[in-house]
Amino acid sequence: MPTELRLHVDQHVRYIQSLDTRKGELEYWLTEHLRLNGLYWGLTALHLLGHGDALPRHEVLDFVFSCMHDNGGFGAAPGHDAHMLYTVSAVQILATLDAFDELEARVSGGRQEIGQYIAALQDLETGTFAGDEWGETDTRFLYGAFNALSLMGLLHMVDVDKAVAHVQRCANFDGGYGTSPGAESHSGQIFTCLGALTIAGRLDGVDQDKLGAWLSERQLKNGGLNGRPEKKEDVCYSWWVMSSLAMLNKLHWIDGTKLATFILQCQDPELGGLADRPGDMVDVFHTVFGIAGLSLLKYPGLEEVDPV
Amino acid sequence: MPRFYHDDPAWSDVTPIPQLESGQVLAGISYTAEYSEAMSYLRAVMAANEYSTRVLDLTEHIISLNPAHYTVWLYRAQTLSALNRNLREEIKWLNPTALKHLKNYQIWHHRQTIIDRLGSCDGEQEFVEQMLEKDAKNYHVWSYRQWVVRRFGLFGDEGERKWCEGMMERDVRNNSVWNHRFFVVFGGLKGEVEEGLLKRELEYAQDAVRKAPQNECPWNYIRGVLRQAKKPMSTVKEFAKEFADLEKPDEVRSTHALDLLADIYEEEKKNDEAKTALDLLANKYDPIRAKYWEYRARSLDSAAVEA
Ligand SMILES: [Zn+2]
Repeated sequence: MPTELRLHVDQHVRYIQSLDTRKGELEYWLTEHLRLNGLYWGLTALHLLGHGDALPRHEVLDFVFSCMHDNGGFGAAPGHDAHMLYTVSAVQILATLDAFDELEARVSGGRQEIGQYIAALQDLETGTFAGDEWGETDTRFLYGAFNALSLMGLLHMVDVDKAVAHVQRCANFDGGYGTSPGAESHSGQIFTCLGALTIAGRLDGVDQDKLGAWLSERQLKNGGLNGRPEKKEDVCYSWWVMSSLAMLNKLHWIDGTKLATFILQCQDPELGGLADRPGDMVDVFHTVFGIAGLSLLKYPGLEEVDPV
Repeated sequence: MPRFYHDDPAWSDVTPIPQLESGQVLAGISYTAEYSEAMSYLRAVMAANEYSTRVLDLTEHIISLNPAHYTVWLYRAQTLSALNRNLREEIKWLNPTALKHLKNYQIWHHRQTIIDRLGSCDGEQEFVEQMLEKDAKNYHVWSYRQWVVRRFGLFGDEGERKWCEGMMERDVRNNSVWNHRFFVVFGGLKGEVEEGLLKRELEYAQDAVRKAPQNECPWNYIRGVLRQAKKPMSTVKEFAKEFADLEKPDEVRSTHALDLLADIYEEEKKNDEAKTALDLLANKYDPIRAKYWEYRARSLDSAAVEA
């Protein structure tokens, strides 16, 4: 790897810290519906960079609890409707900060309440999960449900077998998985399906060689990974593809050095943050997935990340 | 022009509910102030369960400022339903909004709700096509198209398949179209794949390979079709050899052909030939995935030992 290409840790930490001080900017308000996700991403990136304490713990928790509803779900920001995605982010933040005791202190029986909110979103006929009471279903929500419930030790609250059968029905002719049965294979959806199966301990039903081949085919000549056949490379897929390969123990099937070089080229070396590809605008989403990708590649100085 | 409600007589009976967040900085940015005020009126009408024409106007206004806010869409759908509105009019309004915000999921969910209630997909195929002209691989649009096929029973439909062919002529590398074709052709199939259908699908994909031999999509499709029909991969051996012949190792035109040939030789228990193909991939034609090709070569050995 060329020596001038290195990870600009300090810049990235400052970039993430600055995100919450931009309340006067339009973009901050327009992305309000993502606030809790963004917080989780920022926190994870800081944790991987070895600066987990760079965001004030107490304020983070205050914000998380202010998003909680009486039904046990969380909205993206205070006053927003509860949704699976934000509920999962909230649980992940609580787990990262080891704050389940604080949850119980503020909301007695809080874990159970969250578990009930999630369990009620399972479609008992098909086994999949909806994102909210309005009924959009997606394997992303199924994975989110499994992830959050397993972090709280409450996986038994849902019908795991039925959910696993649903994921298996999402397998496509090319070996990949989509959002629902028949939907096109997509790296992000493969991650969610494999993640759910890994949590359930049910990777047995996966054609692992075929899927591994499809995933490794995602690497392009410039080292970057794409999300679907004949699409452009993008840093966020470093995470979806690599973590999927890692769950299959096949991470070595792609060229790690070339990929690390590609990710490092996507940094903004002065102001921090990573973009989808070299020269584009940085954002917190690509920052965390780029850094998580480097962590999976065992980039020196980064904390180890769990692929699930 | 920003639009405000606090001095609008039509809204004077509503007390807005501002967001409870400390340190809110709104000064100086009129667009932000506009959005923030509109949201506070939405909170107020939601708290009062108001369903009215002015609520539809308000939601339209907020959607124009921020179409990704899912609560607004849900409340709009409820209001339409409560007022028993003409849903065709809603679709007419929705079309340009969708074209402006291609990556927005909520719009599609809303559309699905409306079309489902209407019970007819008239005009939907044309609209989807218009959307795909802007971004031919948009996942939301394709998911929606699959929903239409499922909801209105278009499996095996010739018109839908011909439409795929038209899309393919624009870009033979569009994997979404390949997936959709597979979905339409095989999605509703019960029982065996007939010979005629197998032949038609293989020939279609083979023609596409001839146009661009290194295009991954039709190769995956060929494998998928064979698997669906429970046919051996050697069915397409001669075809694969058009693009990768071990006799002419310097003239390989497609790594996917070489990959398929390796599988065919393995199927035929010709491990030496399979290994030659995998070596060519690892060392010459696709070294970035060398570890994968080496794994495949090693598993040939272990399969031989087990046998
Ligand atoms: Zn991306």
